Amino acid sequence: MDKTTPHSTHSPAANGNASGPSDTPDSPGHAAASTSPSPSLRKPSAGNALSTRQQVIELADGLSDVADRLHERVLAEIARHDGRAVPDRTQATMRALLDDEMLLRQRANALYADAAAHVIGGLAQSQARLVTLTAEAADKIRRIGIIGEVTSLVGGVLALAGAVASGQATPIVLAIEKIQFHNAALKVLTPPAA
Amino acid sequence: MLRRIAVGAGLLIALLGTGCATHGSVSLQEVRAFADASAKVGGYGELSRRYRDTFERERPYLSPATERVARENDARRRAVYDDAVAIQRALVLYMQTLGLLAGEERYDLSARIDDLGSGLKASTESGLQQRHVVAYTGMSRLLTRVIASGYQNRSVEAMVRDGDADVQQLLDAMMSLTRLYRKTNENEKKTVLGIFNVEIPFSNRNNERMLVTLAKVHLQNKTTEYKLIDRRYDLAMQGLTKVALGHQKMRENMHRLNGDEVRHLLANYGRDLNIIRDGLNE
Repeated sequence: MDKTTPHSTHSPAANGNASGPSDTPDSPGHAAASTSPSPSLRKPSAGNALSTRQQVIELADGLSDVADRLHERVLAEIARHDGRAVPDRTQATMRALLDDEMLLRQRANALYADAAAHVIGGLAQSQARLVTLTAEAADKIRRIGIIGEVTSLVGGVLALAGAVASGQATPIVLAIEKIQFHNAALKVLTPPAA
Repeated sequence: MLRRIAVGAGLLIALLGTGCATHGSVSLQEVRAFADASAKVGGYGELSRRYRDTFERERPYLSPATERVARENDARRRAVYDDAVAIQRALVLYMQTLGLLAGEERYDLSARIDDLGSGLKASTESGLQQRHVVAYTGMSRLLTRVIASGYQNRSVEAMVRDGDADVQQLLDAMMSLTRLYRKTNENEKKTVLGIFNVEIPFSNRNNERMLVTLAKVHLQNKTTEYKLIDRRYDLAMQGLTKVALGHQKMRENMHRLNGDEVRHLLANYGRDLNIIRDGLNE
C-alpha cells in the first residue's frame, strides 16, 4: 500500500465498563515490543458519516492497517519462542488471529471495491470517529500485553467491518460500542506504553 | 486566430520541409509522437485484469469463512471491469484520432466508434463517479463527430480544446482505479505471503522438512512476483500522470503547438512515455 494508512492518536480509551467477548484466552504474557515506529498523528478528514468515496477509502485503509498491526503482533509472539517448539494451544491462537487478519483484509478490499458509490444512509457516527477507532485499535494491538485480549479487540473491529459492509447504521453503532467497551477494559490490562 | 494558426503552420512546414497537408491540418510531429505514445502506454489494462482476477489467485490461501467474503468481493470487482476497460478504450481512440489529425495520414477509425457505443454501465457498483460517466459520454460524442466527418474541418487545436476536460476526467478515473487496484493488491499480497510467516516457524519436526523446503521456495517465488507487480503499479501511474500532464500542456499552449518550447516539452513527454512502455515490456 502506498502508506496512506491512517495512524492514530494515542488517545485514551473511551468510557465504558463491559469487557468484549473473550473467546481464546491463551495468554503467553507480554509481547515483545513492536519494532515499528510510533504512529504519527493523523487527522481524519471532517465530514458526516461514511458518505464519500474518500471516506470509504480511509476506513478501508484503517482496516488494512489493523490487519498489518495484527500480523506484526503474531510474528512478534512467535519470535518470543526463539526457534523452540510453539505449544499447540499458542499455535491455535496464532492461526485464529491469522484468520482474523485475512478476514479484515477481505473487508478492506470490499470497501475498496465499493469505494466510488458506497453511501451509508442514516449513520449518526461521524466518519472521523470510525477512522479514529480503527486507528486506536491498530495502535492497541501493538501495545496490549496479553495476546488473548488482542483476539477479542480484533473481534470488535471485525464486527465493525462486517457492519459497515452491510451498510446499516444500527449494527455499526453496536460494533462501535463494542470496541469502545473493549478499549475501556483494556485500559486496566495494558501496561504503560514503552 | 485561424490566421495565426495558418501562419504558424506555414512556418512549421517550411522548417520541417514536409509537404502540405490537406484539410487545413498541419504536421505536428511532436503532438503526433506524444499522442501515439499515449495511445500505447500500457499497464492499466493489464492491472485492470489482474484486479478482476484477484479472487482466483488468493483463493487457495483463504479459510472458508474468509472465502465467503472474498467471493462477494469477486463479484464486485467483476462488475467494475467492463467500465474500467471502456474508459481506457475511449482514451486510446481519442489519442489515435489526435495522432491522425496531427499527421497527414487519414485512415478510417469509424469501426472503432461502435466499441464506445453502449456507454458505461454507471451502476453504483461500477466504481465510477458521475463526472467520469459524463466525461465518457462527452468523449464518445466528440470522437463520433470527428471520426464520422472524416476529420473534415478539424484541427489539432480544436480537438485538444474540446477534448481536454474529458481527457482529464477519464485519466482521473483511471488513476483512481489504479490506486484502488494497488491497495487491493497489497492486501492480496499480505494474504498470500502471510500464512508462510506463521506456518513455517510452526513446522519444525523432522518429518516436515520437505514441506518446509517447498514452502520456502514458494514464498521466495511469490515474494519476487509481488515485487515485480509493485513496479508495474508504479510505471502505470507514472504513465497516466505523463499523459495527463502532456495533454494539459497542449491545452495551455493550444495556439503555440509549433513553438520550439512546446515541441520540446511534448517530445520529452513522448520520450518518457516510451521509456515507461519499455519498462513495462521488460
